[in-house]
Amino acid sequence: MRRLIISICFLLSTITAVCAADFQPGNPRTMKFPELNFQIPKAERIVLECGMPVYLLRDTELPIIGVTAMVRAGSVYEPAAKSGLAGMAGSVMRSGGAGGMAPEAMDDELEFMASAVESGIGSDMGTVSLTSLKKNFSRTLQIFRQVLLHPDFSEKRVEIARRQAIEGLRRQNDDPKDIAGREIHRAIYAGHPLGTVPTFESVSAVTRQDMIDYHRSFYRLDRMILAVSGDFDRSELLKELNAVFGAVKNSGAPDLPNIAQPKQQFQGEVLYGKKDVNQTVIRMGHLGLTKDSPDIYAVRLLDYILGGSFTSRLTMEVRTNQGLAYSVGSHFDIGRRFTGSFIAETETKAESTAKAISLMKGIITDLTKEPVSDAELSAAREYMINSFMFGFTSPASIVTQRARLEYFGYPEGYLEQFRENIAKVTKADILSAARKYLHPDAFKLVVIGNGAKFDQPLSMFGTVRELDLKTTVPK
Amino acid sequence: MKRTMLAVALLATIATCTHAATLEQKVVEHTLKNGMKLLLVERHTSPTVAAWIRFRVGSVDERSDERGIAHLLEHMLFKGTTTLGTKDYAAEKPVLDRIEEVAQALTAEKARREKADAGKIAGLEKQLASLEADASRYVIKDEFFELYSRNGGTGYNAFTSRDGTTYLISLPSNKLELWAAIESDRLQNAVLREFYTERSVVMEERRRSYDADPESKLWETFVASSFLAHAYGQPTIGWMSDIENLTRSKAEQFFHSYYAPNNAIVAIVGDIDTTATIALVERYFGAIKPGKQPPPVTTLEPAQAGERRIELLADAEPTVIMGFHKPAISTPDDYVFDVINMILGSGRTSRFYKKLVIEKQIATDIGAFDAPGHRYPNLFVVSANPRAPHTAADVEAAVQAELELLKTTPVAARDLQRILNKMEYEEARRMGTNGGLARNLTEYEATTGNWRYMTEQRSKIAGVTPDDIMRVARTYFTRENRTVGFITKKGGDK
Repeated sequence: MRRLIISICFLLSTITAVCAADFQPGNPRTMKFPELNFQIPKAERIVLECGMPVYLLRDTELPIIGVTAMVRAGSVYEPAAKSGLAGMAGSVMRSGGAGGMAPEAMDDELEFMASAVESGIGSDMGTVSLTSLKKNFSRTLQIFRQVLLHPDFSEKRVEIARRQAIEGLRRQNDDPKDIAGREIHRAIYAGHPLGTVPTFESVSAVTRQDMIDYHRSFYRLDRMILAVSGDFDRSELLKELNAVFGAVKNSGAPDLPNIAQPKQQFQGEVLYGKKDVNQTVIRMGHLGLTKDSPDIYAVRLLDYILGGSFTSRLTMEVRTNQGLAYSVGSHFDIGRRFTGSFIAETETKAESTAKAISLMKGIITDLTKEPVSDAELSAAREYMINSFMFGFTSPASIVTQRARLEYFGYPEGYLEQFRENIAKVTKADILSAARKYLHPDAFKLVVIGNGAKFDQPLSMFGTVRELDLKTTVPK
Repeated sequence: MKRTMLAVALLATIATCTHAATLEQKVVEHTLKNGMKLLLVERHTSPTVAAWIRFRVGSVDERSDERGIAHLLEHMLFKGTTTLGTKDYAAEKPVLDRIEEVAQALTAEKARREKADAGKIAGLEKQLASLEADASRYVIKDEFFELYSRNGGTGYNAFTSRDGTTYLISLPSNKLELWAAIESDRLQNAVLREFYTERSVVMEERRRSYDADPESKLWETFVASSFLAHAYGQPTIGWMSDIENLTRSKAEQFFHSYYAPNNAIVAIVGDIDTTATIALVERYFGAIKPGKQPPPVTTLEPAQAGERRIELLADAEPTVIMGFHKPAISTPDDYVFDVINMILGSGRTSRFYKKLVIEKQIATDIGAFDAPGHRYPNLFVVSANPRAPHTAADVEAAVQAELELLKTTPVAARDLQRILNKMEYEEARRMGTNGGLARNLTEYEATTGNWRYMTEQRSKIAGVTPDDIMRVARTYFTRENRTVGFITKKGGDK
């Protein structure tokens, strides 16, 4: 069959070669394209006997199956004195053995099958994932279940995780970009669990029992959503999932700890950390918005125009026109449960530090003064609408996306109406969103570099507080 | 409503998917008369397509006075053509030519370093700034990007390595002609406008990626120290003074020497019709004249005759990198190294992880890989972060002990089988994304001469015996073949 195709092609190429002289290439500026039929792919939603929702999408292209469990957990729920607990618990769920299976035995069995089971806990979600060849799925699913529901938290592996976390803290000030990323979040979310970072003390205070308790209180069957994709047989899969999770409806989970929203305070601050390097790392920003705001569509377009693309205002001016940076941009991280953030960032040589900061603040301020141009709006709109389909390129991304929308409580029809909602946004909407969500005077400004070489003192942006970057390891 | 759509979707999946075809069955090859190689794979999972163009030219092909040019040229090829990115090329061109004259004079004066004439530099800089302002009146900024994005293109990018330079984009599948039009225009009519601003951008890229990041700086120093003669040692981005002395004329010369259809490999993967796509590529690229075949790099790295130890003092915790010279990709011993890589460094069952991270707990992470390129003889590299109070020396000794063990004790059959199982899975997995598959096809076609390396590697590795591993370990893991690089903390204990 392939031979046949190839010979047809040869024929074709001879013909085209003959006609090549008459060929007029299309003009990229005016080129027209055939219609494309794109339907948003759906995933089936079923509910297991135990009450757990599952999103399913079968695809037999490859003999692989993937599963992701999303669990209502997160580092926001850990006490500040034990900051690091959730992250460590998430990792030791996998590394510390489960269901009586020793860590080494689990590693050996999984890797011999070329299967993977991984676990982690982020700020507002815990995940356990599985990938395996179809032929090894049943056995891998058994191990997945043990990791998810019955981790053993081997004492030795708990200790290794702690020691690794401590080593990570020792190294946290090695790369200036890491320092700046951490410090801008601490500044924006000061006083909130999202602004708390692990310390030597907090990591040392975490015990094995803390991990066991954390897992027990959050990893409940009624707080999980599953996403399954790949080459499965639907009825076989449902049978297996029901067998694995049982028929007992585990309901009546106590409410999740109530974590308040970050305080809406907008007050400028300048934070400086000294590193003897030839390039300065710059971050500036403040609180943003959540997905529940009706302004999210205007903000997404604003984001693209301001700092979210290669032709954005920030990139165009700071990089393309002035050559001051390789990487420059800004981003509204739209919060799902908690208020998100707006952060603008770049790195520039020490000698152009103040110049770059002023330039960026000016560009951001401009957006709060004048409406964007028609061309900017249409370019942003067309990109968002025409590239929308790239959110659906693999069965795994389709099912996890659906599960995530349910997990975070997005409104019904969010995806279906997304393009329409983007299309409706006007220049006035963007201007009012910019005025509402951008406050350059209230930026937390984080600057990491060698102040002695800056073009202007940082004090021109406000009172400077110097960060202590010395790593003092408690004995 | 939701339910019905779903049932339809499920049915559709079942009906359209042929069962797990192998890569060998899926790839269609086609070579244009001008030598351009086309690799096509139909995947109808989503109405999208990935198009990658790989040129067989990387920083390894640079002469010493051109270091950094392959990468800077890659940046410059986003700046447009005689018809795109400009409002009026005929008016723009004389200004660009004047810019080049002034910039060359400026670059030459600055290259005199302490003997340079400050007044002359200031005058030329002023002249250059005014000419650049003049030229900018004609520029339509980043028009390629703008055209692709408006049409829903994502991931429009390029990267340069020692071995090659690749330009990539993903598009809605009805827009592939836009790619053909832009890319064929770029190959024939590129204009390297805004060159000297972009050169500053690349200097910032260098500061960001190497100068200010201690681990990357160690890496750059380590690789450079591992190669005395071969161009694999020089950083792809170029040393700072190299970048400072690159000119548009040099970039144009490099462009004309290496960017020809016979030096290009194109992979198009996704929701395409193979026959129509070949016809499309023939129409747009078929008439481009082939260039002359660029010469291979003939320098051979002389055999290393003693250990090299490289220290970097930095404001950072210790890191250690160890390297051993080894043969290029797809040579018989390279397959043995593939096995060694996986046994030592891949996953939680790997020897390094079990011994150094779990048992001795002297490192927090450790990896093994091949670098810095693949076309020519390269290095087997081990990289690790020691866990305090353990030192780089402790880690080095423990790594060395594992390497010694490989020389004397045959690897168990189960360990070899685990590797083959892993490769079976990887062969399936890497067919799962358009971009990933396009990447692999172009990469292996370019570095090994045939994309089928991807399908043949597993059977080659299946032929590697425990004796082969011991022989290779004894041959290459010697003291004289070893380079060790490490970070010592500035103002630390030692």
